[in-house]
Amino acid sequence: MKTLPWEYGVRNLFRRPARTALTLVGLTTVILLIFVVVAFIRGLEASLAASGDDDVVLVYALSSGADIENSSIPARTPALLAASLDGIQRRFDVQHISPEVYLGTRITVAGTDKKGLGLVRGVTTAAPLVRSKMQIVEGEWPGPGEVLAGKLAHSKLGCREEALSVGSTVTFDGREWRISGRFTAAGSAFESELWCPLQDMQTALKRQDLSLVAMKMAPGGSLAEVEMFCSERLDLELKAVPEAQYYASLQQHYKPVRLLGWVVVWLIAGAGVFAGLNTMYGAVVGRVRELSTLQAMGFRRRAITMSLIQEAVLLSVGGSLIAALIAFLLVNGTAVRFTMGAFALRVDSLAVVIGCGTGLVLGLLGAVPPAMKAMRVTVVEGIKAV
Amino acid sequence: MTLVQVKNVTKQYANGEETITPLNEVNLEVHQGDFLSLMGASGSGKSTLLNMIAGIDEVTSGEILVEGTDITKLSRGKLADWRASHVGYIFQTHNLIPVLTAYENVEMPLLLLKMSAAERRKRVEIALEAVNLTDRATHYPRQMSGGQEQRVGIARAIVASPTLVVADEPTGNLDDETTEQILELLQRVNNELGMTLLMVTHDIEASEIAKRQIRLERGKLTERQSESTNREITAA
Repeated sequence: MKTLPWEYGVRNLFRRPARTALTLVGLTTVILLIFVVVAFIRGLEASLAASGDDDVVLVYALSSGADIENSSIPARTPALLAASLDGIQRRFDVQHISPEVYLGTRITVAGTDKKGLGLVRGVTTAAPLVRSKMQIVEGEWPGPGEVLAGKLAHSKLGCREEALSVGSTVTFDGREWRISGRFTAAGSAFESELWCPLQDMQTALKRQDLSLVAMKMAPGGSLAEVEMFCSERLDLELKAVPEAQYYASLQQHYKPVRLLGWVVVWLIAGAGVFAGLNTMYGAVVGRVRELSTLQAMGFRRRAITMSLIQEAVLLSVGGSLIAALIAFLLVNGTAVRFTMGAFALRVDSLAVVIGCGTGLVLGLLGAVPPAMKAMRVTVVEGIKAV
Repeated sequence: MTLVQVKNVTKQYANGEETITPLNEVNLEVHQGDFLSLMGASGSGKSTLLNMIAGIDEVTSGEILVEGTDITKLSRGKLADWRASHVGYIFQTHNLIPVLTAYENVEMPLLLLKMSAAERRKRVEIALEAVNLTDRATHYPRQMSGGQEQRVGIARAIVASPTLVVADEPTGNLDDETTEQILELLQRVNNELGMTLLMVTHDIEASEIAKRQIRLERGKLTERQSESTNREITAA
């Protein structure tokens, strides 16, 4: 089958520049919206997925349900665990066991009156041994009265990034804290937290207990060992959960949000198809005579249909590329707050495949029905159409 | 040599509850090198007959043989291929592709044939020269007058050296002077290039340039030989 020249489809796009430009803007907007929603879903998933480490076991209060924030365990728990378990990772005679206090609290950033809800984790120097993805990217480990700010903590607090720069101060629990440094944690939920020395935090909060103990297990060390400890020390009322499982359960908690996101993607795509259909119907209706002339010359209906699809797909590919570019430049990495912290919108390969793929489908679905309608007109009627 | 044989062709179509029969058991023979004009009142079926011979309209019954091939039996796809290599169509409203230049418009039918780019270029140049539009090759239809557009339409119809050139009211939209030029050009296509032409027209003067003049009345064809013989025959 002989196809119509490529230039024919391309030049037809410039035939009605205003209409083509409007369609391009419409398609770009639709595809960009899809990019944003997919980036949101992917960012949320990535944040929760990155937060769990398979080797790390969390020990916290049996009575706290699924929420570490409500947990309270005795301060002696880390020492008891260290003395009782053989499977904890140990290097240079240091056990990788991190006692922590974790809470959500109102935090005031210096220079603003507004209090933001932030997440604070009281830690010791053992914390980076257990959370191996944690990396200080600026400043230093916090000393007394200092905090280390996660890369996305500003987003969780609803302030500008500069407000949490090294040397700035934040106030929570009636005390002012100087920011000693900043850290990243491979996109995990830790990045939206403030980390301060455990002792200072306990003093500020006037509490002796801990929220949890995080332990990195050595190769061969098992969760069963920790679970057995928890079940035998009934007086401590503890439970042990692998960190990956803990965050996986949180992912389940956000499943409806993700589902809603996908529904929004479908709805936007559906609206985009109608926009595409409308444009292509308009473009084809005005060209019935020309399309019939091509048939009279000997071009087959399929070749003409393909050329019409080519036009629509060219336009949608253009829209996809522009939307992808905008998404990379303006959407990718944008921090979004949620109850568990903050995460960065993520325009990853899947987002590109879904965004650009939807763009292509919009072009195809938008072109086929109008093209088929145009091909239903007989050549004799068509060549005399106005 | 007989090129086209129209055998007992009937065309009917429904108009509400009424059945209209513009062509009833029509017979016609067109010979190689003929220039045949087809006249008749509006709605007499002259364009319908032309379109059926050109393979863009279907017969209700009967046969149309072109070089021995019954085109009424061809599938839609095969008929499209047949049109590409056998028919050049000149439209009343020129029907040029607005986004293509004169050169590209003329080249279009050649894209359907197996041909090298060099051969295509040569043929397009010859066709444009034949209609005296070489200097307008890069112009778009909107940049040309009606007469120039029609000349491009003629170049497009003849560029592939088709078996048959059909023209439906080729001067219907043109002024007197341009009409004369176009008719002269059609005569040259027939005389100098030896192409077989079938032209529908309602203009008596235009019809008189043809070697054979046929009238279509009440579904039947009547042929009148050229003025020199002034002899009327019934083709059916």
